[in-house]
Amino acid sequence: MNGLGTSMQEKLGVQPRKGLRLSDILVTVLVSLVLGVIYHFWGSVYNLLKPLFFEADELLYGMWFAAATLAYLLIRKPGVAIIAEVAAAHVEVLFGSGWGLTLLLYGVIQGLGAELVFAAFRYRSTSAWTLAFAGAGSAVGSMIMDFYYSYTDDLQAWMFFAKYGMRIFSGAIIAGLLMLLLAKALDRTGVTSLLRPASRKDYEALEDPRHV
Amino acid sequence: MNIWNPVRITWLHRANPVVKLGLIIGLFFMTVLTHNLDFVMYQAFVFTVCLLVLSGVKPWKMLLFLIPFLLAFISSSSSMMLFGKGDTIWWEWGLFRVSEESFYRGLHLGFKGIAFASEGLLLVTTTSSVDLFYSLMQKLRLAPKYAYSFMASIRLLPMVWEEYVIRRQALKVRGVLPIRGIRGIVSRAGLYVVPLLAQSIRRAHRVAAAMEAKQFDGDGAKSRTYYYPFRYSRYDLLVIGLLAAAACCAYIAAGYFPWFGIGDVRFD
Repeated sequence: MNGLGTSMQEKLGVQPRKGLRLSDILVTVLVSLVLGVIYHFWGSVYNLLKPLFFEADELLYGMWFAAATLAYLLIRKPGVAIIAEVAAAHVEVLFGSGWGLTLLLYGVIQGLGAELVFAAFRYRSTSAWTLAFAGAGSAVGSMIMDFYYSYTDDLQAWMFFAKYGMRIFSGAIIAGLLMLLLAKALDRTGVTSLLRPASRKDYEALEDPRHV
Repeated sequence: MNIWNPVRITWLHRANPVVKLGLIIGLFFMTVLTHNLDFVMYQAFVFTVCLLVLSGVKPWKMLLFLIPFLLAFISSSSSMMLFGKGDTIWWEWGLFRVSEESFYRGLHLGFKGIAFASEGLLLVTTTSSVDLFYSLMQKLRLAPKYAYSFMASIRLLPMVWEEYVIRRQALKVRGVLPIRGIRGIVSRAGLYVVPLLAQSIRRAHRVAAAMEAKQFDGDGAKSRTYYYPFRYSRYDLLVIGLLAAAACCAYIAAGYFPWFGIGDVRFD
């Protein structure tokens, strides 16, 4: 079959394109907007935990980092984590919340936290550890923002560690592991095959004589 | 998608969205870097007044939107008041410890929150997302693929809501009974989240293929023409002058009529 040394891939002149394409961005943004709506209502779930114990609500904080990790699991290209968090925060602007712009800034820095973790693994790893680290990375990002925004470094030490310990833990569990499960569930529906570029295996399947 | 429905068109509506964005981000940084309680309090006051005047929204409606700010004021300040660092203890009970420093820092955070919110609303109430993305493309050379993705997704979002309604009806027709309790919430989330996300990925992908075919992702941002052209105008200068004057007013008022007269609210 391959006597002339031209595979189907070369004949068609198809190269997997690097960088973000419009379809990558559109999928990222739409999925993140859907998550953004969930973020919006998550606020009321979050408030339920408030009376339980002061700052116990931090245990649910990780939900607000979910867009970054889920988008990465779907697209796996540089930049999607930041775009995803910004898009999710944009929902608040659309809903006319006064915190919209503040949340956009939080979105940028939370996305950046996750993005740096993914970059450290060169955008290849989708293991549970990587995702847990990415969720924690977003939490650290939001913590840095908090220093400027609400002086949380001036909290008493035990409060500070309790608050951010819970937030980082929650980032790792909800944004990391829970989103990994969700992405696996999405994989099973088959839609994610739309998002992956055709692999070598797909082209080999085209040349398989049994299909002729 | 305009929930604000302004009754008047003000200078702020006419200014270029990019100028407004830059201006508001500038004000944000000013507020972030303010550590003086009086200055922040006057900022909160001045920008709330600006918002009532410049947003063009009916004042009673705007005041309605400001109610959540009061709740946020309480929740953001109380945590710092009760748990903040400080030396001059006023009141102590178990883990709670209110000191003079933490009390004022709490108040500071409350006012800061209001200042942020009114600055943010100045932009949000007067600029639609479409205008913002168009002018970002034209004035800041944002790649069209980002801008059009955002704009298309905003239009697709209501369809996701429709699909949610359809899904709910479908489950009802099939006689899926909701389970009570925590397990019920988890199982219900599974019944909705996966199909809705899968469907929105499919839809987004289809729309993107059509948009790519029509060159919405074209890289030639320079030679592109736009349906809505955005230019700079004299309103930009007016708005910059107006908001800068507002900030100066707050600064001068804090200097001449301080309410609290304490310096930096940060610990040591």
